[in-house]
Amino acid sequence: MRQTFIARALDRFLGRGSASVTVPALDGALKPNSRLEDLPAGIPAQAPDSIVSWRGAPLWSEGTKLVSEDGVKADLGSGITALASRGDRLAAATLAGELLVLDGGLKPVTPIWTKPVRNVTALDFGPKGDIWFCVGSERNSPAEWRRDLMEMNRSGQIGRAEPATGDIHIVKHRLGYPSGIAVLENGAVVFSEAWSSHVAEMAADGAMTRTVLDELPGYPGRIQARAGGGYWLSVFAPRSPLIEFVLREPAYRKAMLREVPEDFWVAPNYFSGKSFNEPMQGGALKQMGILKPWAPTLSYGLVIELDDEFIPLRSFHSRAGGRRHGITSVLEADGALWLAGRGSDEILRLNLADDGAAA
Amino acid sequence: MSLASSIKKARYRFFPDHIVGEMLSKSWIDNAIPFAFMIVVVGVIGLLLPNFFTGSNISILSRQYGELALVVLAMTTVILVGGIDLSVGSNFALANFLMLYFLNLAHLPVGVSAGLTILITSGVGLINGLLVGYLRLRAFLTTLVTLIIVRAVVDLLLLEYAQDMSMSFYSSPLWDMMGLGGVWIFPFSFVVLAAVAVVAHIAFSRSGPGWRLLAIGGSRRSAFNMGLPVKRIVCSAYVISGALVGMAGVLYAARLSGAGTDTGIGLEISALTAAILGGNSLGGGRGSVPKALMGAVTVLVLSNGVLRLGLNSGSGPMVLGLALLFAVFVDVRWMKNRHKLLSKVYVSPTLMEMPDPRPTDKGPFEINDRLSDVEVIALGEVESPEDVILDEDDNLYSGNRHGDIIRYFAPDYKTHEVYAHIGGAPLGMSFDRNGNLLVCVGGMGLYMVSKADRSVSKVTDETNRSVFSVVDDSRLRLADDLDIAPDGKIYFSEATIRYEMHDWPVDALESRGNGRIICYDPATKKTRTLLKNLVFPNGVCTAHDGKSILFAESWGCRINRYWLEGPRKGKLEVLADRLPGYPDNINRASDGTYWVAIMGMRSPALDLALRMPDFRRRMARRIAADQWLYPNLNIGCVARFNDKGEFLESMWDRYATNHPMITSMREHKGWLYLGGITNNRIGRIRLEGMNDGWSGWSSYWGGSARGQA
Repeated sequence: MRQTFIARALDRFLGRGSASVTVPALDGALKPNSRLEDLPAGIPAQAPDSIVSWRGAPLWSEGTKLVSEDGVKADLGSGITALASRGDRLAAATLAGELLVLDGGLKPVTPIWTKPVRNVTALDFGPKGDIWFCVGSERNSPAEWRRDLMEMNRSGQIGRAEPATGDIHIVKHRLGYPSGIAVLENGAVVFSEAWSSHVAEMAADGAMTRTVLDELPGYPGRIQARAGGGYWLSVFAPRSPLIEFVLREPAYRKAMLREVPEDFWVAPNYFSGKSFNEPMQGGALKQMGILKPWAPTLSYGLVIELDDEFIPLRSFHSRAGGRRHGITSVLEADGALWLAGRGSDEILRLNLADDGAAA
Repeated sequence: MSLASSIKKARYRFFPDHIVGEMLSKSWIDNAIPFAFMIVVVGVIGLLLPNFFTGSNISILSRQYGELALVVLAMTTVILVGGIDLSVGSNFALANFLMLYFLNLAHLPVGVSAGLTILITSGVGLINGLLVGYLRLRAFLTTLVTLIIVRAVVDLLLLEYAQDMSMSFYSSPLWDMMGLGGVWIFPFSFVVLAAVAVVAHIAFSRSGPGWRLLAIGGSRRSAFNMGLPVKRIVCSAYVISGALVGMAGVLYAARLSGAGTDTGIGLEISALTAAILGGNSLGGGRGSVPKALMGAVTVLVLSNGVLRLGLNSGSGPMVLGLALLFAVFVDVRWMKNRHKLLSKVYVSPTLMEMPDPRPTDKGPFEINDRLSDVEVIALGEVESPEDVILDEDDNLYSGNRHGDIIRYFAPDYKTHEVYAHIGGAPLGMSFDRNGNLLVCVGGMGLYMVSKADRSVSKVTDETNRSVFSVVDDSRLRLADDLDIAPDGKIYFSEATIRYEMHDWPVDALESRGNGRIICYDPATKKTRTLLKNLVFPNGVCTAHDGKSILFAESWGCRINRYWLEGPRKGKLEVLADRLPGYPDNINRASDGTYWVAIMGMRSPALDLALRMPDFRRRMARRIAADQWLYPNLNIGCVARFNDKGEFLESMWDRYATNHPMITSMREHKGWLYLGGITNNRIGRIRLEGMNDGWSGWSSYWGGSARGQA
């Protein structure tokens, strides 16, 4: 204990080891581009969050509503935090702490669960119709994810719900904000752990966890299977040295949580630059009227295409000063990528055929 | 909690961290470690030896010191030029022998003997110098060979003459005075040393030859390329070394009058240790006489102390060897890391408790879009127009970051010309009574562009130096804005004395009172500092009645008034505080009020950080500068206030798209012109309800003789 304390104090003094604040570079397949920024205007949507394929067409959540291209399909009465679909079943989680199962007519057929399931950030159906869910944090609801990061909680869980019996099994505890989940053909489960900036894989019983994608330059969110193998990973917010530094400064961090209004925290966000009260970093000082796209930013738009070994193939970006930030969910359908643009309040459509799908 | 916070306050008040950085930036800081080491050695030895500090002991030591320090100076001279002289020990022995020989066997007078001796040891130095300087042999090997040969010569001579010399004994008043007496309480050798040291110090620090010698030590190739006679100077350094060693040998002979085979054995190690321990760089080019003298004190006290403590016979050399190792270690590490250390500790934030800002959702600062339809002038053609000003013919002037004053022609400002080229970034501007343009230039000072022929002349670039500042703060580093009082005195602000033009926002991270208000009096041509320790003093404006000046303290988010006359003359008072942003230039409005540019807005996260200087200090060390938390300088507004400090209105460009940031504004004939230091444009907007005939110049000088043609 003593040695750890000394080692930690030394790290803190010299700014290395556990106190270093480096962030992985946007390099290789993650080389920045402006594909998201260049997209034509999308369908206006109020804080779209999760997007799934429902009866062959995209269906997304906007606050309490389920919306498709034709208009509002249903209103669940409480803010929807996650969606998943399989056949004629739709699973939805809400801020009220419900885990709903809807039938083909979007009518609730929710069984009585043996345990309450709250703060769900992501859902996916297993091969047998069971529902896998991520609980981001036991303490904070998904609407409070910034607070959860700033409190440095690791109270996330992954569990499985059986709609047939109402049984709830918590498979894994103490995760750093699991926020995306995908069940593989072989029954294994892949999930993203946002506060650890990695994607991990585990067996259905929670054993044999291994990291499959590490050192991400942002906070990974939902994972969506790609047509023809592989995955789409939406990275909903960027990491930055300043945030990493603030996370290592307990006094400042706690005072900030206590005194500063949430919108003006030094914390990642779905969007930034909307108020002059937000913190600004030196490199974001506009020169000659231009904000450099490589300027430090608290929000970013990033979607990564992964192959079936979770190796990044390509990525779509919206850089500092852009609008298409905070992509929380994607759906590949008919050669196009549908994106829930939380930061720009729109549903975007990116034509994948344009540049010859990778691999 | 309150106790803790008051302790914190006191700590930042009484232990200002920036002193550390400023001391590290001084060249004398190189002496700090050698000096501390010397004090420690003298202190410890003095404590261990009971009668160390008695007069007799000091007297004996200082006599030895004179000899040793001369040898150390000899070694230092050679080290400074980038070489090394190992032959000092045997040369010393040679001088000792020769002096005694000339006196006892050749029966020459003392003066002649000493002169001949020094001539011969200089000759040994000349041999070294020729070999090393002209034939480019390695200094180390060459002087090692000289060491051996001269030592052999001395031994041969001793074999021949030692017996004869021991038979005779020379005595004369002068010789006795050299060996035993002195001047007042100072031993003779010490006086000689003092004289030599003064001459040497002046030579090294203030004379051409000394500088050339140091230049060669610093970089021999560069010195050669710039045309210095490298060979000759290197050679002469060895000759000087030989002469100094000769002097030391003469003094040694006078003190002991004995020629033994062990004279000067190991002296080269002592001298080398002393030179390096004093802080002279072994690589050459960096060092001084005081360093050599300090090193000599340390080595003398150390070797004497070890001897007198009665330690084993080998311990003396052992201690010296360890000291040399330590000195070389410090030399290398210090040279390597000093600048790294400086860059890490230079930014030194202080405690700043910001009061809550005035609201921007209601009241005079309520956000609006009144600036969103600003007319844009010279978009993309001007860079960094910090300030704008108009003359009586409605022409518009602004600075740019290329160092020009640009004039835009009325009435449409579509064409422009370079009015004058200054060379530094022009900031605040003002017309004087005669239409000459006075300009504060970042990094240069206060300049004037004359109306008659557009010639640029320096008005002032320095003020009086503060008594207690570590660094010389007399030079103006960031003159920012100025205004002229009715009596012609020019009042201007220097935003910070710690940062240059290109990184002025870093000063916000410190938020210390680094700035000042300075007054230039054209009658006496004197510049003096009026107010110090201001937090980024910025826009200066003479009040409408001419009895006070108003200036903004940007990072303090307040506007102050300084009284020039009246009952409160010389008093400073806060006119308006708790601004929601950082005030910049202030200028008169036509209705007797004032415009102030708000160059950036406060953010709660930064306000909180200002209360936590240690957080900001670590931030400055841990993360890259472009990641630092900054004041938000991307958006601002223009506000208007009156003489009571009440704000009346503000004008915003809510999304900062048309006119991103504002550092200055001028009202002129019903229009408001806007400048911004990070902008590529100038803006102007029509004012409703303001006097269409009013101009700045006539407001200042219209009442008196009209000087403009």
